[in-house]
Amino acid sequence: MGDITRKPARVGGTKKSIRRIVWGVLAVVGIGFLAYGSLRDTGPLTQQDRIDAVTKRIACPTCDGESVFVSRAAAAQAIRAEVARQVGDGVRTDEEIVAYIADRFGSEVLLVPRSEGLDAVIWVLPVVVAVALIGAVVARFAVRGDTDSPPTATSVLPDGTSPSARISRRRSRLVGIVVVLVVGVVGGLLVARQAGQRLPLGSATGGIADSTASLLAQARLAGASDVSAAIELYGRVLETDPDNVEALTYRAWLIMLSARQFDESLQRQAYASTIAALGRAIELEPNYADAMCFLGIVVFRDGGDAESASEFIARCLEREPPAEVRGLVEELQREVAAALDE
Amino acid sequence: MKSVRWVSGIVAIALAGFLVVLLRTDGDTDVGARSPLLGEPAPAVVTTTIDDAPFDLARRKGSWVVFNFFNSTCVPCIAEHPALLAFVDDEAGRVDGVEFYTVVNDDDDRAVRDFFTTNAGGWPKLRDDDGAIAVAFGVAKVPETWIIDPNGFVRLRILGSVTEGVLEEQMASLRTNDG
Repeated sequence: MGDITRKPARVGGTKKSIRRIVWGVLAVVGIGFLAYGSLRDTGPLTQQDRIDAVTKRIACPTCDGESVFVSRAAAAQAIRAEVARQVGDGVRTDEEIVAYIADRFGSEVLLVPRSEGLDAVIWVLPVVVAVALIGAVVARFAVRGDTDSPPTATSVLPDGTSPSARISRRRSRLVGIVVVLVVGVVGGLLVARQAGQRLPLGSATGGIADSTASLLAQARLAGASDVSAAIELYGRVLETDPDNVEALTYRAWLIMLSARQFDESLQRQAYASTIAALGRAIELEPNYADAMCFLGIVVFRDGGDAESASEFIARCLEREPPAEVRGLVEELQREVAAALDE
Repeated sequence: MKSVRWVSGIVAIALAGFLVVLLRTDGDTDVGARSPLLGEPAPAVVTTTIDDAPFDLARRKGSWVVFNFFNSTCVPCIAEHPALLAFVDDEAGRVDGVEFYTVVNDDDDRAVRDFFTTNAGGWPKLRDDDGAIAVAFGVAKVPETWIIDPNGFVRLRILGSVTEGVLEEQMASLRTNDG
């Protein structure tokens, strides 16, 4: 072990500076390439190109190591048809289509791992390791360069180094580790950004949080326990989709149910608006059983018209209503029949 | 020396962590399979039956709906058929009985009709000619059975054949949870 006590002579220092500049330039060029690659615009594709590009990114869920693009399996064909349909619709981007498929079949069908979350480690780790290896090689050369320089010691510790040299070496090591980590992680993230899948949709249904389907689902859930919240949610659906038959029907039905606890004038107003809304729903979708059933119930319970109610209930049952509504109507049917007998 | 001790300590903690995770994991013994759709609103399903009657899942809210993805040449589908018949028969007697639908997967109408004529099962059979329903539910292989609650939310997915009593048990448990 040679004594390393002081900074090398000026000539060595100049060489070292040049070496550092070269490595710095190489790092900048490398990062520049990655940045360019990650940000470049690949330009427009034709519809068929888009379908091919998307299906190449998805694995066939029933075969080993084949993409949906290549596979002839039934599941792959169904996915290909779905991709083609969504590309044709022109509503979703490629990333959104891949996300839709991944939401349904799981991330196992992604041939290219995602660029975010835990999957990003797959992209970042190799870059960090590569940069660390390069850093280790550079450090090794640097140490060799230092040991080659003549020692000019003033004070030496028992292990042959001076305190200032030891501090300086530790500092260099620390700086080296930080630089390697930063360059590795940034480079890795750039690689992940360029090569990994960037999938925008988080929800399993693949829609925007406040989409009609989502609002209807929330309204349905709220319906039983929080009628006013359900009415508000159905109202929000109607703001964007005034002809939504489900929202028209259930909003009207819930308004009528809650109006029953108020005075007669309010009940009359609610009755009029409910009949109008249910009539509109039936006009829009004549086979919608729920609207016909509710019309029968409301006409009898709130309008006292057994004859019309009987007619509406018969039509409702013809349309095969779902179990909950059928239960309500069958119960009422006996009362209506009794009222007609009287 | 110090760094070796540190590394050994970290490795030991990591191994202990893995061991705890392994000991705490029960293993996958449930009937229900994983799906990102569980607990989410069911995908839109608008199609026709093989008898050309229209079908819209959104209009079946208020009923429990069971979809059984089926192909007449698939052996597990044939094997589970008696269990499905028993389940549908059992549900028919209930006020809140499920609506049971076969979703035809990659099969033609005539083969499906022949199968049900020979083996019974008078419930509606939904067409899925281009596989859109299968993709929407993430079904890659049949049979698969899905249960959707009266609010339109996906509640259970069963991969492969169902054996006798399984669907009855699952429905009882779902109804109790909702009860």
